[in-house]
Amino acid sequence: MFEKITDKLKGALDGVLTPNDGGTAVKQGSGNMAKLPRHRKKFRIVSVGNGLDMTFLLLVVVVLVIGLVMMFSASFPTAYFSKDSSYYFIKRQAGFAVVGLIIMIAVSFVDYHHYHKYAVPVLIGAWLLMLIVIPANWGSDDPKRWLNLGPISIQVSEICKFALILFMAHWSSLYYDKMQTFKYGVLPGLVLILVTSFLLYLEPHYSGIVICGLIVAIMMFLAGVRIFYFVLAAIGGGLIVSVMAVTGKLTYAMSRLDGWGQALTYTDVDMWNTTWQTRNSLYAIGSGGLWGLGLGQSRQKYMYLPEPQNDFVYAIVCEELGFIGAFIILMIFAVLVCRGIKICVKASDKFGTLLGVGLMAQIGLQVVLNILVITDWLPNTGISLPFFSYGGSSLIMLLAQMGIVMNISRSAALEKG
Amino acid sequence: MGDKVLSGIRKRSWALLFIIMILGFGSVISRLFYLQLVQGKELSDLAVDQQMSDITVSAKRGSILDRNGNTLASSANVWKVVLAPIYFENDKDRQTVSDGLATILGMNSADIMELAKKSDSYYQTVKRQIESDERGKVLEFIEKISKENPKLGSVIVLEEDYKRYYPYNDFAASVIGFTGSDGQGLSGIEYQYDSYLTGVPGRVVSENDGWGAAMPFEYEQKQEAHDGNSVVLTIDETIQHFLEKHLKQGIIDYQVAEGAVAICMDVNNGEVLGMATENSFDLNNPYELTDENAKAELEKLSGTNKEQRESELLAKQWRNKAISDSYYPGSVFKVITASSALEEGTSKLSNTYFCSGSYVPYEGVQAIACHNHDGHGSQTFAEALCNSCNPAFMMIGKELGYEKFWEYFQSFGFNSQTGIDLPGEGTGLFFQHEGEPEGSMWPTDLAIGSFGQGITVTPIEMVTAVSAVANGGSLIKPYLVKQIVDADGNVVETTEPTVKRQIISNETAREMAEIMEKNATEGTAKNGYVAGYRIAGKTGTSEKIGQSRKPGVEDYIASYCGFAPADDPQIALLVYFDTPTGDAYYGSQVAAPVFAGIMAEICPYLGIEAQYTEDEMKYVSTTADSYLSLNIGEAQQKVRDDGFEPFVTGDGDEVIAQIPDAGSQIPRGGRVVLYTTTDSTKETITVPDLVGYSVAEVNELSAEYNINIIYSGSVDQDSVYSYSQSIESGMLVAPGTVVTVYFGNNDVDDTVM
Repeated sequence: MFEKITDKLKGALDGVLTPNDGGTAVKQGSGNMAKLPRHRKKFRIVSVGNGLDMTFLLLVVVVLVIGLVMMFSASFPTAYFSKDSSYYFIKRQAGFAVVGLIIMIAVSFVDYHHYHKYAVPVLIGAWLLMLIVIPANWGSDDPKRWLNLGPISIQVSEICKFALILFMAHWSSLYYDKMQTFKYGVLPGLVLILVTSFLLYLEPHYSGIVICGLIVAIMMFLAGVRIFYFVLAAIGGGLIVSVMAVTGKLTYAMSRLDGWGQALTYTDVDMWNTTWQTRNSLYAIGSGGLWGLGLGQSRQKYMYLPEPQNDFVYAIVCEELGFIGAFIILMIFAVLVCRGIKICVKASDKFGTLLGVGLMAQIGLQVVLNILVITDWLPNTGISLPFFSYGGSSLIMLLAQMGIVMNISRSAALEKG
Repeated sequence: MGDKVLSGIRKRSWALLFIIMILGFGSVISRLFYLQLVQGKELSDLAVDQQMSDITVSAKRGSILDRNGNTLASSANVWKVVLAPIYFENDKDRQTVSDGLATILGMNSADIMELAKKSDSYYQTVKRQIESDERGKVLEFIEKISKENPKLGSVIVLEEDYKRYYPYNDFAASVIGFTGSDGQGLSGIEYQYDSYLTGVPGRVVSENDGWGAAMPFEYEQKQEAHDGNSVVLTIDETIQHFLEKHLKQGIIDYQVAEGAVAICMDVNNGEVLGMATENSFDLNNPYELTDENAKAELEKLSGTNKEQRESELLAKQWRNKAISDSYYPGSVFKVITASSALEEGTSKLSNTYFCSGSYVPYEGVQAIACHNHDGHGSQTFAEALCNSCNPAFMMIGKELGYEKFWEYFQSFGFNSQTGIDLPGEGTGLFFQHEGEPEGSMWPTDLAIGSFGQGITVTPIEMVTAVSAVANGGSLIKPYLVKQIVDADGNVVETTEPTVKRQIISNETAREMAEIMEKNATEGTAKNGYVAGYRIAGKTGTSEKIGQSRKPGVEDYIASYCGFAPADDPQIALLVYFDTPTGDAYYGSQVAAPVFAGIMAEICPYLGIEAQYTEDEMKYVSTTADSYLSLNIGEAQQKVRDDGFEPFVTGDGDEVIAQIPDAGSQIPRGGRVVLYTTTDSTKETITVPDLVGYSVAEVNELSAEYNINIIYSGSVDQDSVYSYSQSIESGMLVAPGTVVTVYFGNNDVDDTVM
């Protein structure tokens, strides 16, 4: 049975459209292979099913709206001073959100099974983009992370993260029964991590390495790779970091690690400058107290906390809405992730589940990492907060990914029905 | 089977969700809980500290005024230019601002650029104490650059500040004192009354954004600054000016090496009307050495030696000798010995003392010589003082005895501070004998102490003691601050005179005043006499034992202390020259004429009525009236009526100019030159040499040269000769110009040991 399914899926890679995988057949309880051609005839580009999960859609919209409001509140002083218009960031972000929502809805109609065949090209494409980005920005001391496309810049690692999830979901669902083996279960993930890490290292984008590594690890875990390998990976990862530290290639990351956890106890001018952003983030969070200073009432956003619209937007949320507000927003995130995962585990096939859970896990992961950074528990490395941090490519990618989860919800609902 | 497969993934999905929620969200929430609710207050305080700009508004320091309300020290608004280089975005802006400020402030653009490049800094002081015109230009500049780039507006900040101004520069410098860079008083009244003068600085607390601009919150609290109180001194600017003028001239005339002091005090209440220490220094520039020799000395040094020596020299420059220096009072102290002896009745006015030219006070001791080696012969008590006879005073001292001598030394206040309201007051010292109780004396101590050697006093102690003799025997506390006045002019505090104790009886005091007056008219102190005024005085010349600038000649201190009028004493005056290095160094030669010169100006100024002897009348000056615009005939008549002699030049009908000018002092019978044509005003005469003549001879010369003479000094004495003239000989002046000629007696009067 598995072989047949995998064969079918292999067929999908070759351009053969597969409406539903074996799960449906199993559900039909016949086990009769003869029925499959019938399904094949029901060729569908769009998958409406019984409709998407309205709760999930609502949660996405709620998080998006709260994110936009808070990003606007956090960004307007900076926008006013550096862009001469308080609305600079919010206008752009709102535009991205609209585009993103349209894309999300559109994507939610695209049958996610089609992504099977794009898993490899997307991955190769993401890597190529990263290869392009590096020389395109060569000569600058700044990290080379952005692909400049005129009006919009794309942070290629956003695409890369998706590509990794997609490929891992694809691969794991194809060779699910061989996941226990090193060759099928560990090697591809390892190659993915190494290639991606190497490219990100060239940029350099160390937080990207961390996130991509964790994403691949999560995907491998979902696919059922033996825990033994995770232990090995942890040891191996430690070794790599040590080697990098020894060769001095860690300078940029180290400069960001400088002052980590010492934001309030800086000892000299250099430290004071290094920890400026984190310290002001802590000031903002602390100033919020239980109830916050009120929406729009942050003081730290007035040129104290640099770039409050980006990674540190949540510090302003904490300052304005207090612990209560911050907690509620975290809960909404949590409910969103739970709901997404709940939908995806009900997907009718491994690919859907793996893809959807991977995408939702990525959101949960980024929320946690982002807040640990702004609270000085992790070094200040540039991890954005989904739906909140300013950034078009990130927001559009996120919403598109939510669209995929919605499509999975449609099929899941279909399954239920 | 598919279900089995999926259930594995589902299980792991739920497990993953569980991990993310519990480990991830759990740790995030607990971290936020800690930061916001546990550490929240601390962080919020730090944030507020950063957001609040707490600007201190300087309080204006109070003024220092003389007793008539003339300003001697005041504060004026100035501004400080500060750069906040952190707001610069590029070197072009830095250059623009540096160039602009350099032009306005007259500074080097590269220097400002250096400050502008400290890109982490919020505060770099560019220039302090700029005045309002420069401030205006800076404000215009800020407006201009912020139009081009609004962010540049916050780069330059003008902070309000106050600067201390001393309008008379070196006037009463050691009394007034000066302030440091933060406006705190460092010396003199500025230091002593700092707490009154300072005021209470105000605060403006407001919320600022990271660029220092106000945040859009209504959050500003102002606490007004309370300006400091003003201090009204007992010093009279005019009297102080007299003191300083004469001291300065004296220092030049007598080549005085170590400076000079003059103190004028109201004998009845202790108000110090003037206290001058020369050479002085510029209060607006206190760190610049005024003494050329000191400057030259410093030039030769380098490194730490130089720094050390510079601070020594500055300390010396700032030292208020009038209260800090102690010196051997010399013969002036005979006033104290005499007062004590009279008060105790150990010596009687009727006693006679025989001086053979030297005296052996105690057996086995070497004879101590009198300044008059031929001896004064037999003298009464009063004559002994007038002769300043050392042997006589050794005898008087012996009559007084050790215990009483020590008792009166203390009683007159020589071994304790007078308590004058100035920092750094010293005290005199009695004889010091190691291992013996204070006040113990050896036989020779009493001998030399009775004529003021071996014991030290400070100038302020001396003048206070003499004031006690003058005022009927009360030792009073001298003081310099009459009133404290708040910024609105209300009197906050008024100093009440303090009588410390009665030292001698009124009767003794009257007797001493008479003797001292006699001394000032006929005795050794007669060079201090001022025609028309009843001066009481005593000269003193003391050796600075062990100090010598010329081989074989010891350094001297020449002093004169006296009061006036002798019959109703009002002011006491001490004049003290430290180390005159010219040919003249006796108190009678150096200090007395200066004393007379000062008294001659102070007495009329204070409205003390002059009582001239008949002889003096012809030399007394009166004030010239204005004869301008009068018909020449009328003018001549009026001049005659006023007691002067008219002298007409030119052939006009009307007086168009006169010399001396209306209001100037002309001796009775002096010439008033009336000019009737413009050409005639151009006539000049040459001032003759008037030094070394008797009064009569000077009188003749003045007639011959057609100039007016003011006779200064004891002109009713036969033995006086002119020793100085106010306008140098050879100068071209208009006819009728008034020349003051100083008369004095060149006799050597007193010295010691």
